[in-house]
Amino acid sequence: MGSDEAYNFVFKVVLIGESGVGKSNLLSRFTKNEFNHDSRTTIGVEFSTRTVQLSGFTIKAQIWDTAGLERYRAITSAYYRGAVGALLVYDITKHLTYESVERWLKELYDHADPDIVVMLVGNKTDLESERSVPTEEAKDFAKKKDILFLETSALESTNVEAAFTNVLAEIHKKVRSKAVVRGSISAVSLNSHRAENAEEKKPCCRNI
Amino acid sequence: MAKIENGRQSADTGSIRTISSSHVDDESSLGSDSEINGFTSDRQTDKYGFIGGAQQYSEESAQDVPPEVLRQREVKWLDMLSHWDKWMIKRFNKVRLRCQKGIPPALRGRAWLYLSGGKVKKEQNQGKFQELDSQPGDPKWVDVIEKDLHRQFPFHEMFVSRGGHGQQDLFRVLKAYTLYRPEEGYCQAQAPIAAVLLMHMPAEDAFWGLVQICEKYLPGYYSPGLEAIQLDGEILFALLRRVSPLAFRHLEKHKIDPILYMTEWFMCAFSRTLPWASVLRVWDMFLCDGVKIIFRVGLVLLKCMLGTREKLKACQGQYETMELLRAIEPRYMQEGFLVREILEVPVTARDVERVHHSQLKRWKKNRGELNFKPPPRMHGARLIMLAEPPRHQDLQQNPTIVLEASQPASQLKKGKEEKKSKKKKSVKKPQPVKEIPNPYPLPNDPPPSDPPAPPSDSTSSTQELKPQTETDSLHQQTEPPTDLPPAKESALQRSTQSLSSTEQDTYL
Repeated sequence: MGSDEAYNFVFKVVLIGESGVGKSNLLSRFTKNEFNHDSRTTIGVEFSTRTVQLSGFTIKAQIWDTAGLERYRAITSAYYRGAVGALLVYDITKHLTYESVERWLKELYDHADPDIVVMLVGNKTDLESERSVPTEEAKDFAKKKDILFLETSALESTNVEAAFTNVLAEIHKKVRSKAVVRGSISAVSLNSHRAENAEEKKPCCRNI
Repeated sequence: MAKIENGRQSADTGSIRTISSSHVDDESSLGSDSEINGFTSDRQTDKYGFIGGAQQYSEESAQDVPPEVLRQREVKWLDMLSHWDKWMIKRFNKVRLRCQKGIPPALRGRAWLYLSGGKVKKEQNQGKFQELDSQPGDPKWVDVIEKDLHRQFPFHEMFVSRGGHGQQDLFRVLKAYTLYRPEEGYCQAQAPIAAVLLMHMPAEDAFWGLVQICEKYLPGYYSPGLEAIQLDGEILFALLRRVSPLAFRHLEKHKIDPILYMTEWFMCAFSRTLPWASVLRVWDMFLCDGVKIIFRVGLVLLKCMLGTREKLKACQGQYETMELLRAIEPRYMQEGFLVREILEVPVTARDVERVHHSQLKRWKKNRGELNFKPPPRMHGARLIMLAEPPRHQDLQQNPTIVLEASQPASQLKKGKEEKKSKKKKSVKKPQPVKEIPNPYPLPNDPPPSDPPAPPSDSTSSTQELKPQTETDSLHQQTEPPTDLPPAKESALQRSTQSLSSTEQDTYL
């Protein structure tokens, strides 16, 4: 049933991107500090949580991982529901996985909260020698789309913490600034501890 | 016994993508992989071929059938397989009962092939698989399939080696399907299905088994759009209302979409969820009686995990509920318990169809027409056979090794063997039993003394075809029930096992 520690927020974050880019290992690396070359193909949805401290607040990150194959997009709307953050992952050694980022973004905005915090993640930097997506190119694209950007290696653990915590921090910022007046993000931020997307019935500390 | 290769590498960038090498205890540099991967320090394979306790094999909960009973069942199955059409048409209830009791491991592969109608398909399409196998395949699908080969049952000895026979055959089967049905292409959940089949039969047979599952048992599950699985999710949920109103209300209250918990269950026919012994029992029944079994398993699990107020108190939200459903208590998945529960669920094929009909109407109202209209679902082996009646020759078993008729009987060990061999003959041609020939002392066979060890012993070896003859000789040690007529022909049940797939010699 998860830890009994008190937390201030629960943020649901989804991992999306083409099959094989490393979503499942990013999840396991962040939440369990584990990596597996032969992790099973994700079918359906996997999820895991980890609680982090951000600016004095305790944030429970609920990370959802889904199948990347094209046809699974038909069933992902249930996954997006209530998500406040997304990591859109591609494989830096497979240019095709980067090319489909645009489609994934559209998918995301079609199904998720419009204020969702998005980070573009170029994974597998441990395979630098096989790189086929230049960092600058992806960085520029992210800037243009007004989304965050980082390159990571789930295998070597490089930047994985940073990727998730940056997204969580951004979400937290939005929530605190109450920049959003409707939708799931505001539901999280308000002092209601029965927030819809938080889905937690435990009372949280009041925070402001 | 083959060296167990661990297909994983330590964090050494240069060789990451290349062929695996054997590392012992290499997990430390990568964080504790061992636990998540079910790898314990003891790397024994269990009797199903899983390494280090993966897929939850446990001695205590194993429901071991006494060898004498196994032998009896084998005799019965051999008889059924020799007269398959008659049994299916006239005595299907008996076939069903025997499937419910569990198909003897040595015959499971063959029985599955017959039950699914894959055998008939194979015979009616001779050369087809070879044709598909020889083609390169659409690069788009080949690429995705290749990415998945090392991600199916990576803790099963058959699939643990990158580039090994198991993964090769998996590739061949999946690729062939994309060529056979280009409009369907590849769906990732087909890989575990194909892998389970490959653990029991050679590639060509597994291919036809996959075809039948994708087209007759679970049509539309793997098609683009995944509409069929979504619809079945709604059907499952609707059926749950009757089976466990508490669980139903809870899921409804927390707006937990069935897709969030039943996708992997159904698309992989529970092969990724249950302990292996239970997977096999479920598949025995599923291939006999169709998708209603899958529904029943789902309903049992939901009822067990969410069916009482006490359990529900522990999960107050969507997330907790889903976590609960992802961590089903082992006692509910244990073979004996699960099978008993499955048989008790009051859901018939007709119920499934009825609810399907109403959910389809609802779907059309809310979402419009289906984009991908799959063919109608076949609810089990008998209906499949009736829909595609086999020719006589389609059901023939074709031994690849045929023994000469007479061997002097005196040789035969006295005692148990005397009775046991009475029924079985090795010869292909019908012959009246004069005495009790043991046709079997093949030069390289072990003496037929004790009941054989479970066939998987030979599975674990990666050597030649020898195991095949061993297990056959073991078959002869059966205790023939006196009421059955002696087998007249093809008592020597051989498969046309391809030489390239020698690992899976539980197939017989």
